Amino acid sequence: MRRVLIAAAAASALLLAGAEPSPEASAPGDLADDASLEALLAADCVDDTAMEIAQAAGRLPQEGGVASDQWPPHAIGGVIPPIRSVSDLFPTFDGVAVDTENNRVIFSDENRHSMLVYDRTAGGSSNDVTEPVQWVFGPKAQLGYIAGVEVDPKRKEFYTVNNDGGDRMVVFSYDDHGNAQPRRTLTLPHQSWDVSLAPTRDEIAITVQQSNAISIFKRGAKGTDHPIRTIRGLATGLEDPHGLYFDETHNELITANHGNWTQIRPYTPYDPIVTDVGEYKSGAFHPSAITFHAADANGDVPPLRTIEGDLTGLNWPMGIDVDLTHHEIAVANYGDSSVRIFRRDAKGNVQPTRVIRGALTQIVGPVSVAIDVKNEELWVANYGDHTAVVFPRTASGNVRPKRIIRNAPKDTPTCGFTNASAAAYDSKRDEILVPN
Amino acid sequence: MFARLANGNVAPKRVIEGQATNLSRTMHGIAYDAIHDEIVIPVALGGAVLVFRADATGEVPPLRAIQGTRTRLVRPHTVAVDPVNNEILTADPSMRAVVVFDRTANGNVAPKRVITGPKTGLLDIVGLDVDPIRNVIVAASRKGNGEKVGIFVFDRLANGDVEPKQFIGGPNSKLAHFRQVTIDPATGNIFLAQQNTRMKQMEAYVLDKPREGFKAKEEKEDEDDDSDSGRLDQMGFIAVYAPDDNGDIPPRAIIKGPGIRLAGAAGVALNPKRKEIITVGGNGFQTFLLPEFFKPFRKTGGTR
Repeated sequence: MRRVLIAAAAASALLLAGAEPSPEASAPGDLADDASLEALLAADCVDDTAMEIAQAAGRLPQEGGVASDQWPPHAIGGVIPPIRSVSDLFPTFDGVAVDTENNRVIFSDENRHSMLVYDRTAGGSSNDVTEPVQWVFGPKAQLGYIAGVEVDPKRKEFYTVNNDGGDRMVVFSYDDHGNAQPRRTLTLPHQSWDVSLAPTRDEIAITVQQSNAISIFKRGAKGTDHPIRTIRGLATGLEDPHGLYFDETHNELITANHGNWTQIRPYTPYDPIVTDVGEYKSGAFHPSAITFHAADANGDVPPLRTIEGDLTGLNWPMGIDVDLTHHEIAVANYGDSSVRIFRRDAKGNVQPTRVIRGALTQIVGPVSVAIDVKNEELWVANYGDHTAVVFPRTASGNVRPKRIIRNAPKDTPTCGFTNASAAAYDSKRDEILVPN
Repeated sequence: MFARLANGNVAPKRVIEGQATNLSRTMHGIAYDAIHDEIVIPVALGGAVLVFRADATGEVPPLRAIQGTRTRLVRPHTVAVDPVNNEILTADPSMRAVVVFDRTANGNVAPKRVITGPKTGLLDIVGLDVDPIRNVIVAASRKGNGEKVGIFVFDRLANGDVEPKQFIGGPNSKLAHFRQVTIDPATGNIFLAQQNTRMKQMEAYVLDKPREGFKAKEEKEDEDDDSDSGRLDQMGFIAVYAPDDNGDIPPRAIIKGPGIRLAGAAGVALNPKRKEIITVGGNGFQTFLLPEFFKPFRKTGGTR
């Protein structure tokens, strides 16, 4: 079995980035508006980052284009090193899927754009990085800001969805490793989040955040194949949908919704101005909810039932999984760093049957869950920490996990954002603001 | 929220998140109002603009929320705040519009002004700022056919279907796949974050419907659409222009190279007092110390 050392790979990247932390905060001192460069440099700590990046810049071939010294003409600036650089160079765990037939656990990594596969029994109490048995990454893999994960034990394939940076689902085999080409890709609507497989129906279902939709494709769909049906519209109750489970036993599609809704219209640079938009419906914020739709639903179809309300404690619910043996739904509740377990047939404003939450649990910003009925375990992928934590299936309350899987050494911080596209500077608090 | 001096792999000092905030995990803009000490942020998937106390932390509700049928908002992408004239501005690519509200607007309120229509040239508006000193609004907007991809400058009080007073774009500008724009209040210099010089690719779907006639391009190893392509001739940069710049011109000042490539240049913010430029993209941000970029530009290049 091939082995990969995450720590070594990240350390290589650190050489370029210069990630030695400097003091995080200092009160902004008085500085004249016309302060000299020397004064500005002296005012703050400028560490080795600048030197490292300047050296890297010197090694770059000047191939023309914007990298050329000749462009832009007469401009000041050029290839300039930053004085500070904030970045998390380790993977994060986002989606998770467990294959109990082949004893593997698959995670998506939004931060470093990779897929990590572990032995099902991996992890423990070590403070060190847990080594994956398989790690797919690199430009051929076409992994962008990926989210949900699905596994097909029979075909020994695993799936993930590019939420941004590619608009496609990619499928890999258990034999793939390193900079591997996907076995197949399927183009998806922008902001697709989760994927769930229905092996008997031979279908896959996809949630789409911005369209408030579920699109269903044939399992082997590839290229630009179209969905065979789509659930979308005001009546559906789908609102910023994330986690999805295709329950073939009960012919239901179960979806975790954040509650944000807008009547989105075409917005890309390739779409004309749309003037005939029909009746305008304004944006709305509703409570988070779990919706249940008929598996054959198509179009603007209301849910069969909904779990929603104060008693549920739902707060930015992300990934979900369903235990068809014990009739339970597990929800990764990002907003309060908990996992909430509901009865599969629950509806309305109901309390969860169990909640795993508290400092002992080490659940921090969970993005997905997976129930392993065969081995009586519950997996939780933490985005807010460099860990996944494994509990007994029936765990409840503020309890310690059985095992911890680490993708970075213990206590490695996370920046807490990915795919950021804006910033602001708070001059009063001397802070940099970044929306996620 | 990170300390200005944060460096390396650092956790944020504060986070505003959770259901009660009405934020989502899809937010593409942010503005800080230093006079009123507030943060303004658009929620694209909720058709809303939210205002928070600048010292907020945790799961706290916004002070104000602009949302409802009178707002006409659909998918607000980016925001700016004008604390001098007491206005909040947002750009909504689904509305194809720049929309101006009273700064204290709250709830279901109509905008004061809307800049939209064919004369404006606006389409996919991804960056926005306002300069209350020179009385201009600067918008960064993209059109897929290559026309009108660049920086649009409007009179601050423009309303309706009006032409921009200045436009920076064209082949010499190399402007293509950019996002946030910001203005240095002292000089009026315009800073733009460009992720790469390749135009954003056409999406296969129009929302949830397959785009008619769409043909997928042959997949290449560097087809990561929303970040730096990795090619030196297409790499992203921070471009800086003088306030009066107009036409198909290259930037007056530029930050390029591997320092930008660490994360890609999608967002840009300024700390004029410290002469620092903060660029954000992907999973990180970088800070550059460049006092020359905060001086007025000479007509023929360089700074005075």
